Order: sequence, then structure tokens, then C-alpha cells
Amino acid sequence: MWFETTKLAWRAISRNMLRSFLTVLGVVIGVAAVIAMVTVGNGTTAKVRDELSRLGTNTLFVRPGQWGPGRASTEAKRFTDDDVTAIRDQVSGLRAVAPVNRGTVTVIAGGANRSTGVIGTTSDYLVAQDWELALGRDFLPNEDRGSQAACIIGETTRRELFGAASPVGQSIRVSNVACPVVGVLAVKGQSGMGDDQDDTVIMPLKLHQRRIGGTTTISSIILSAQEGVSTAKVQSDVESLLRERRRIAIGRDDDFSVNDMSQIAAAMTGTTVLLTGLLGAVAAVSLLVGGIGIMNIMLVSVTERTREIGIRLAIGALENQVLTQFLVEAVMLSIFGGVTGIVTGLALAYGVVSYLQVPFVASPTIILLAFVFSAAIGMIFGYFPARRAAQLNPIDALRHE
Amino acid sequence: MAAPLITFRQVSKVYGRGEATIRALDRIDLTITQGEFVSIMGPSGSGKSTAMNIIGALDLPSSGEYIFQGIPTSGFDRAQLTLLRRHMLGFVFQGFNLLARTSAVENVELPLVYRGMDHTERRRRAMAALEQVGLRGREGHTTQELSGGQQQRVAIARAIVTDPAVLLADEPTGNLDTKTSGEIMDLITRLNRDNGITVIMVTHEEDIAAYARRLLRFVDGHLVSDEIQASEAAHVV
Repeated sequence: MWFETTKLAWRAISRNMLRSFLTVLGVVIGVAAVIAMVTVGNGTTAKVRDELSRLGTNTLFVRPGQWGPGRASTEAKRFTDDDVTAIRDQVSGLRAVAPVNRGTVTVIAGGANRSTGVIGTTSDYLVAQDWELALGRDFLPNEDRGSQAACIIGETTRRELFGAASPVGQSIRVSNVACPVVGVLAVKGQSGMGDDQDDTVIMPLKLHQRRIGGTTTISSIILSAQEGVSTAKVQSDVESLLRERRRIAIGRDDDFSVNDMSQIAAAMTGTTVLLTGLLGAVAAVSLLVGGIGIMNIMLVSVTERTREIGIRLAIGALENQVLTQFLVEAVMLSIFGGVTGIVTGLALAYGVVSYLQVPFVASPTIILLAFVFSAAIGMIFGYFPARRAAQLNPIDALRHE
Repeated sequence: MAAPLITFRQVSKVYGRGEATIRALDRIDLTITQGEFVSIMGPSGSGKSTAMNIIGALDLPSSGEYIFQGIPTSGFDRAQLTLLRRHMLGFVFQGFNLLARTSAVENVELPLVYRGMDHTERRRRAMAALEQVGLRGREGHTTQELSGGQQQRVAIARAIVTDPAVLLADEPTGNLDTKTSGEIMDLITRLNRDNGITVIMVTHEEDIAAYARRLLRFVDGHLVSDEIQASEAAHVV
């Protein structure tokens, strides 16, 4: 019986292939959109996570304010040199404590100039970031103290300013500061957020504060825990030390945050997940429209085949048998649309992720969900036309022209 | 005398209400026994089609009782009427009513599909029915590839494939020329005589009605005459 019903449904669908295809186009587009969006979203998330985790799990980031999507950190008090010293002296198990200030300024060398992110920090920065030097050396103690100007540049900056020539020993102007280049960083490539990490200039914090930032405070601190030391322990030690130093009353929230990479990754990917959900909702609406399309054409089909339904009822088809026949037809149509949509969506996603250079992460869950959902759409929107067919009066149906 | 197969007891059918009331059948009493060949005649609006629909379990009387093989049908719901049609009745229509783009054998198999019969048995029975109506070798032809007479033969095969007690024919020759009509009527007569199928046929042509042994005439919802015809033998091949 099921085989017969399926065969009949297939015959009805294939009898008018073009119409069947146009009928399910809504479902195809809806499913394809969902699959493509979710797949690209997953790929981007995976890439961000991967990049961030490569930065090391033993690294902690200390920032003023609570950090996360939708939370501004600009209000909170920045850190001081004494905070950095206190962390270095009072928290055990740390490998590096690097204060970091950032700014974007124009960098000039000879005739070439370029707008670049300039980081003010200490020699601990390269340790904390596990960043090797390709050429030259790290900052000397007197440079760290700020009594002598010195710069380390990233590979992109070097290429743009010096071309093929070696920059070590040459001087560049960072904003209005003349600064000899003492080292070149090893290539690091794109970050998880898509920006070029090699487009950078690093200078001693003191110099940066005085000449670039015009400040004596520090905007963030990067900590690196020693091998085998629990970052959770370090995190809570730093938190209690800073609460004390910033005089935060018991019961009040921190006005700073200490996060490891996994927490930052979660916050960053949270945005992606939100976006994926939103796009998914849009796609769900198009699936609804697709379902109405199926219902519409099934109603037309029932009217067209009134006489056939009459014959079937007259020769002994029960209401349920006619209902099942039309339901199977609707479900088959929508599954046909769903599968086409899944294939189209995956192909689309493959193209997009290749272009964005993010990994292709096809989620079996979402594919299965799309399949089940499209079948359900056929079931729901096919039920009304199928019931109408089943409840036809055989006498009237047989007379129908 | 054989047991009554079909009994009408004071059967009336009323359509509409108030001023627009139409009494399509007015208190009809009628008995048809197993193995009869009955023609029903009458002008349009006489109630012959309504009577046929009630006999065919496609419609229920407004009042009175339709008794099939001793079982009153007045309390039947749609499903019970369907099962009565499925197991006891075979239908042949004026317009053939075969499924389009479907082969002859598949058309004949259709009532068996709804009975849930397995494929092999179904095919065997359908082929036997096609053989009986003289269409052996044409089982693979689709409806469009068959002439009118052949289509009606397929329809008859579909009606008899379930071994029904009654074959109901509604103007079976209405769409056919005289020669083909004669062939179809000979086939129906043979099924009645050789297979013992009770045949009830609606027609408006006297020479077609003459094939039947018994002739009922309806006028304005009344059964006005019920006679046994003597001329049957003359037509049998």
C-alpha cells in the first residue's frame, strides 16, 4: 500500500515537473538560505576560535570595565604603572606582565608613509604573545625605561616602508617621534577578526605614553602564566589584587575584567551566534512562505483532479486512503524541495567560505533539521488540501468536468 | 425464488427545502434478486439517477430504508458505504472514468490496491478480468491509446475484478456508436448470464434497455412500470 501511494505521488509530481519545481522553489530558497548561513556562520566561528586558541591558553587579558558584547569599557578607570608593578610583585606564577597602550598614527620612512597601529609596551609583550623576532633584537632596559627611543616593526610595515631593504639601524618617524628600528617581527598573518597582525609598530610604553598617547595611564595588561600554573588561580589572584587597589567595596561589581582566551572567544563568537540566529529567523519566514506555496498548488491539484478523486472514492477508496495519497504527495514535494535546498545551500556555503578563507563546517544537525522541517511543512500545509480531497462527495466529484 | 439482493422500502429522496423542495424519489418500493438483469428508464429528472446513486451506496435516502442483502443501510457512515461499494458493487459510467495516462492493467488493478492486495495477486486477477472483456494483449496501453469501446471494456474489467455481487452501469453505451454499443451490451449480457452477476443499468435508449430481462420505468420520482421482457434471447450471442 505504501509503495503504491508513493508511486502514485511520484507520478503526480513528475507529470508536471516544471510546476512541481516552481511550487517548491520557496522551500528550496528557504532551506538553502538556512543551510548556507549556518554553514558560513559555523566556519567563521570555527576560524575565530582557532585563531584565538593559537594565541595560547595561558594568556590573560586585563582591561578596565566589564568586557563583552554591548558593554563599553571606556568609562572605567585605566591602570597605572603601580598596578603593573603590583601584579608583577604580588601574583605568583607569572611568566610575563606586559602593559599595552594602542594608537593609530602615521609612520614615515624616507619617502614612504603609512597609517599603522602603534603599540606601546615592554619587552614582556613578545614573551606574552609568543612572538619571535625575524631580525634584530628586543628592547634594551634603558629603552624600556623610556630614556632611549627604539621601534620594532611588523613584516607588513617593513615591506610597505622599506621594500626589499633591511630596516634595522634605519630611522622611522612615528607621528612626530624619530625612532630607530631595532628589530623586525616574525610573520604572524591574519588574526581571527580578519585584520593584519603584521601591520604594526611596537615601541617602549614610556615613549608611547609621552609622545603618542599623552597620558601616564595604561589601557590594558597582558599576562602570561608559567607552564603548569592554573590560569584560574592567576585570574582570581589578579582580580582580588586589583579590587583592593581600585578600592572596590565588597558586593560591588568589578570595574575591570580579567579574561583568558576561551572567555574572549566565547564573547566574540557570541556575536556570530546571534547573527546566525537572526538570519535563521529570516530564513524561517521564507520557509513559511514556501509552505503556503505548496498548499496553494495542492489546492489547485485537488480541484484539477476532482473527477479522479471521485472515481477512487466510488470504487472503494476510504477517506483516509485519499487523505494519505495527497499528504504523501505534499510531503514528497516538500522533501524534494528540502533536499534541493540542502544541496544548493551547501554549494553556496562552499563558495562563500572558499572566498572568505574560513573552514567549511557542514553541521549534520542543521541538515537533518532542515530535512525534517521541510517534511513537516509538507505535512502541515498539505493536510488542508488533502482533507478537502478526502471529504469530497463522490457523486459531485464524478460529475465534475 | 432467490433471496432478495436489493430492497427499497418506501424510499424517498428530497433535495432542497421550503419552496424549492424537489422530491426526486417518492416512496419507492422495489426488490431485485440475485442474478437479475434490470434496466431503468425514464426522462431526465425522473429520479432514475437518484435511484441508481442510492443502489450504488453513493447516496443515502432521505426517508425509507435501503436494504442490501438483508442488511438495512440507514445508519451507515461514509466509511461503511465505501466498504459496501468496495466489496459488493462494481461501477461502469457513461464517460468511462478511467485514470488518464495510466495503463489498462493499472486501471483494472485500482480497486484491488485499495483492498491492500499484494502486487502479484493483483496483477493476476487484473489480467484475468482483461481477458474476460477481450482485451488480452492491450494491458500495457494507456487510456489515451484505447478507442472508446476499448476504454469501456477496461472500465467493465475494473468493475468485475473484485467479483462484485452487482454491476451498476450508468448509460454504459451513451458515448459509443451503435456497433460498439452492441458489443458492450453483449459483453454485459454474457457477464450476467455466465458469471451470475446482477446487472442494474440506467439508459434512455429503448434498444439498449431491451437487452435486460426486467425493465423499470420512472416518471417524476415514481416507479410507473415494472415488467419482464420476453425479447432478451434475441440479442444474446
